[in-house]
Amino acid sequence: MSASQSAVRSRAEAVQVSRTLDWMILFTLFTAVLGGYHIHYMLTGGDWDFWTDWKDRRLWVTVAPIVSITFPAAVQSMLWYRYRLPFGAVVCVMALMIGEWINRYLNFWGWTYFPVNFCFPSNLVPGAIILDVVLMMSSSFVLTAVIGGMAWGLVFYPGNWPIIAPLHVPVEYNGMMFTLADLQGYHYVRTGTPEYIRMVEKGTLRTFGKDVAPVSAFFSAFVCIIIYFLWHYFGRWFNKTDFISGEGI
Amino acid sequence: MKTIKDKIAKLSFVALLLAVTSAMFYTPTASAHGEKSQAAFMRMRTIHWFDLDWSKDEVAINDTMTISGKFHVFAGWPETVDKPEVSFLNIGIPGPVFIRAGSWIGGQLVPRSVTLELGETYEFKVLLKARRPGDWHVHTMMNVEGGGPIIGPGKWVTITGSMGDFVNPLTTLTGDTIDLENYALDNVYFWHALWMGIGTAWLLFWIKRPMFIPRHIAVTSGKADTLISATDKKVAIAFAVGTLGLIMVSMGSTNEKYPITTPLQAGLMRGIQWIDMPETTINVKVEDATYRVPGRAMQMTLTITNNGDSSIRLGEFNTASVRFLEPNVLEDESGYPDDLLAEEGLTVSDNSPIAPGESRTVEVTASDAAWEVYRLADLIYDPDSRFAGLLFFFDEDGNRQMVMVDAPLIPTFI
Repeated sequence: MSASQSAVRSRAEAVQVSRTLDWMILFTLFTAVLGGYHIHYMLTGGDWDFWTDWKDRRLWVTVAPIVSITFPAAVQSMLWYRYRLPFGAVVCVMALMIGEWINRYLNFWGWTYFPVNFCFPSNLVPGAIILDVVLMMSSSFVLTAVIGGMAWGLVFYPGNWPIIAPLHVPVEYNGMMFTLADLQGYHYVRTGTPEYIRMVEKGTLRTFGKDVAPVSAFFSAFVCIIIYFLWHYFGRWFNKTDFISGEGI
Repeated sequence: MKTIKDKIAKLSFVALLLAVTSAMFYTPTASAHGEKSQAAFMRMRTIHWFDLDWSKDEVAINDTMTISGKFHVFAGWPETVDKPEVSFLNIGIPGPVFIRAGSWIGGQLVPRSVTLELGETYEFKVLLKARRPGDWHVHTMMNVEGGGPIIGPGKWVTITGSMGDFVNPLTTLTGDTIDLENYALDNVYFWHALWMGIGTAWLLFWIKRPMFIPRHIAVTSGKADTLISATDKKVAIAFAVGTLGLIMVSMGSTNEKYPITTPLQAGLMRGIQWIDMPETTINVKVEDATYRVPGRAMQMTLTITNNGDSSIRLGEFNTASVRFLEPNVLEDESGYPDDLLAEEGLTVSDNSPIAPGESRTVEVTASDAAWEVYRLADLIYDPDSRFAGLLFFFDEDGNRQMVMVDAPLIPTFI
């Protein structure tokens, strides 16, 4: 077979090869995103995602969506721009959460014996679905950034509240009040994570009484819009074919 | 010849693989906490732990033990370490092999960070409940913001039993009794499985059809709009509406199920009570101090003045958790860790009782392998070559007085 001949001899064979390539590309994309997004999220969200006693109504709500909208924005730009595939955000989040669960179960629990109810990851699926749907329906990156990015920030806390609410039930312990999450952080000793490292309930947002979570979510949502744009262009840049020779790419 | 070379190359490769594989199976337990690697001046000139007591050497799962004692916050705190204005009484163990059931400084529960005052001495206690069987090195530890962990002495404690038997029962302020070890775990699994199932369904909806090559061809040939059908849009809207609906319903049901919740508790605790130490009647002036590298010994020339009404003798020099004892004056009966105890490590040129009103200049030598083993000798490589420690004097009735010493240290290499 010369270089100018086709590698396949029939349409059926072409379809088969195409599907094989689909699975290979999807698998590669999934695992690459799992690794890259996971490292990124652990470095930027880190303890806010690791521990229940960091999942507060101010900083977790603010930080986690902002640092997690990054890869979905970049991968969406590639999958939509090149293939009109509207699952960039969900594939990223699914990869991340599977990677996180492997890490939390095998390392945090299996290796160092922190209870899983103390170190489970945040739920990012609701925002990812909305982000993908907005992109697909609007076919506009600007609208996806503004509406989808904002939704990403806004649904984060309510999407996680059913999971963390039981751990915010108060308990009296040795004459002080804790939430059960606080007590998990106190009981399950983290030698390398002293209490003062914990960044929770800090800031000057004191004029909204106990209802600071929505305000934090709105702030996060606005920043998510900006981060979406930024990472969308990162995706565009990485998605260029300048590095590959050949015509018709 | 070539065949032999190839065989050797192959065998070498196999040997290399075997070596790498066998090395992977060699996983000795990492028991230490890096206490020997911490800069010597950090251990000598920050927190001085003393009068420590580990209540048990062996403890069964669910049983408790305490570590109690005192720590002195050195007044000459090094400039290179942030002051202990935000500090946390921690415990140095390899993960949650115990749970910290309680910790107190000056009788105050300290689940959060505290402010410590330089030059003061505090009493502390940590209550531990055994969770995971094994032999564990249990250290006292003070984390200081801007300074890092300042680790204290460690002692081996054995936990017996099975981790499966461990329970952590609590009664909440809403009246429910729970086991914090696995509380709400089903809820975590349920919601994550549900949402990941929905995410998987969205992915399956798209990946069941041809993806990359045909769609790329369609996009590049200007037929991108044909790739999203009306049905696709209906399904997408169903997913979005379903997502928002599920969020609202789950929020509502959660708030009904847990009507009383509070925010995470945080904040710095100030005003921790220190021990009112009696005014010392002993004055100690360090005339000079040298560390003799070959002999692993530190020698101090001290001028000791006894302003009290009872004669005194020097019994102990304590620095960086290593206790150098003068055996004629003091014997340890507390079960202090052997590796940190130099039972005959302190010699005094003239340790006869110093009478009230008397002033005497003596040569004091603290020598033990601990200088090397605990890498305190590395002090001579620190940026601020000073030493510090606690001197304990005893009067005729056995009463003890503590005096802090702090002075430059000159190394001698011959």
